[in-house]
Amino acid sequence: MSENIISLKNVVKKFPVGDGFFTALKGIDLEFEKGEFAGLIGPSGSGKTTLLNIMGSLDAPTEGQALVMGKDIATLSHKQSALLRNMHIGFVFQVYNLLPVYTVFENVEFSLLLQNHTAAERKKMVMDALEWVGIENQADKKPAKLSGGEGQRVAIARAMVKRPEIVLADEPTANLDAKNAHAILKTMKQLNKELGTTFVFSTHDEKVMGYLDRIISLEDGKVVKDEVVEAQYTV
Amino acid sequence: MIKFLLKGILGDKNRSVLPIIIITIGVSLTIILSGYMRGVMGDMIDQNARFDTGHMKIMSRAYAENKAQLPNDLALLGVAQLKEELKSDYPEIKWVDRIKFGGLIDVPDGENASKGQGPAAGMAMDIFNPESGEDARMNLTSSIVKGRLPSKPREALVGSDFAEKLNIKIGDEVTYMGTTMNGSMTFENFIVSGTIRFGMPAMDKGAIVIDISDARQLLDMEDAVGEMLGYLPGGVYDDEEVAPIVKSFNARYANDTDEYAPEMVALRDQNGLSSYLDMVDYFAALFVAIFVFAMSMVLWNTGLLGGLRRYQEFGIRLALGEPKGHIYRTLIYEAILIGIIGSIIGTAIGLVGVYLLQKYGINIGDLMKDSSMMMPTVLRGKFTPELLYIGFIPGLFAMVLGNMLSGIGIYKRSTASLFKELEV
Repeated sequence: MSENIISLKNVVKKFPVGDGFFTALKGIDLEFEKGEFAGLIGPSGSGKTTLLNIMGSLDAPTEGQALVMGKDIATLSHKQSALLRNMHIGFVFQVYNLLPVYTVFENVEFSLLLQNHTAAERKKMVMDALEWVGIENQADKKPAKLSGGEGQRVAIARAMVKRPEIVLADEPTANLDAKNAHAILKTMKQLNKELGTTFVFSTHDEKVMGYLDRIISLEDGKVVKDEVVEAQYTV
Repeated sequence: MIKFLLKGILGDKNRSVLPIIIITIGVSLTIILSGYMRGVMGDMIDQNARFDTGHMKIMSRAYAENKAQLPNDLALLGVAQLKEELKSDYPEIKWVDRIKFGGLIDVPDGENASKGQGPAAGMAMDIFNPESGEDARMNLTSSIVKGRLPSKPREALVGSDFAEKLNIKIGDEVTYMGTTMNGSMTFENFIVSGTIRFGMPAMDKGAIVIDISDARQLLDMEDAVGEMLGYLPGGVYDDEEVAPIVKSFNARYANDTDEYAPEMVALRDQNGLSSYLDMVDYFAALFVAIFVFAMSMVLWNTGLLGGLRRYQEFGIRLALGEPKGHIYRTLIYEAILIGIIGSIIGTAIGLVGVYLLQKYGINIGDLMKDSSMMMPTVLRGKFTPELLYIGFIPGLFAMVLGNMLSGIGIYKRSTASLFKELEV
């Protein structure tokens, strides 16, 4: 029996604007199973990023219930939210957001520092993650010395190093050329298959859509279509 | 994690260099100003103690009431016995006799006519007895411009400016004209053995310095003294040490109604020096308070700017699962580390500055030409142990306070809005 790791029930999110509210999500019902490779698509302002933030425990719903790894996001304290993100959720961003002062190795190592692994454990886990994304020979470089594709690979390694159950990727290929975008997506798909990690994308990019097994269309804060599809590209 | 933070601080020059520069400047300025001010104030107090007030001074009550007039007719009597008692009661204190007197100095031209005359401020002390320590205390030998110390009766030192004005040469004979303690006229010839410059315009313009034995004979003051000065063994005035001595001494004469009974006065209660002493403490505290406030404001803003610049980093760290409280704490740890580095550098620079000020000082001789204040013409800093922490602790405190204030801005934002502002 498949396992739900994200469950959203009638999720509403309102943001205060002036004297009133802007409703970004209007009653979202969604469930994600372990190992899914799914994407949220839709125009700007449709609520993709807000939904991703709630699934990542960076924000809480105004109404409804969001269960991530069995935890009700709305009831978590700051510390519990941080712990949930640290132990179970990885993020990949549109811009790679690597810390420029640190090397590739140290950027990837950071979330492990928060988990109190020993230095030897951290080294092994970081090198494994860099190997997954094919940049183990760049470990000592600073982010400024990397190409765009390499930078995004480091970001994926950083998200994957702690072996999270969920990776949330917000427009991860927006700044990449087609060749690098495909390479990145193949890497992610491979990790999805090998490690069983659930990937949820927010994207406009048709290349990304070509890899997805499930596409959820959002419009004006509502789910207008949720379909399981045959991925165009496989690994 | 500490290694991670340290590498971040060292790797990101914008994060560390500006705050370190601010702290360094603030700490070094605080130390230099404090050291200089304490040096100047301390010099003034020390100068007063050596030349005029002692660490404590005994006079007759009547003399004390009119001491500005140098009323030797109201001098303290029975000095030998009193001194024996003092030596027995306070064996650690060094007691010295001083007589101050006024008069006229006449310089004869060798043909029984006057070559020049001028009013003199006379000071008599125990020069002939090397154990009195007066030579060292008054810097007599090192202050001699020409000639030597008086070594026999009827020899005198005169202020160098005074000697220049009256064209007095070494070996010249000068005549003192004045009154004895009993009010009769007195005349005496002195051979000028040397000229002296104390570095205090008030003294250099009209001083004549003779041995106490000459003064006693000249002024009919056998077994009498205008002022008896007491000095603590370390040579440094300590109010807490002096106050109980003054209290116990005066208590002994509390029931004595004689106006010539001895009265002891502490340094701080003479010449308005209590204000100086209080001012030293007041200004030192004020400097530190202003420094902490100003530095905190600057570092608060620096921290805010740094925080804005580091929004991306904070966003990543939040996303990676670092709690906001942990981020805030690491900001404080960084502040402590930067504060310590800046404070150490600032303290080192400040101490070097104070050392240079102590060694070379700032010469205000030209400004003091016409002054009658008893203060040195070269104002020097003073190296004291408290300078080691007087800037260090506030430097560290200001850095931490500044970062705590700026960090609150980040801490108070909700994770989502902060994350959104981060544009990650």
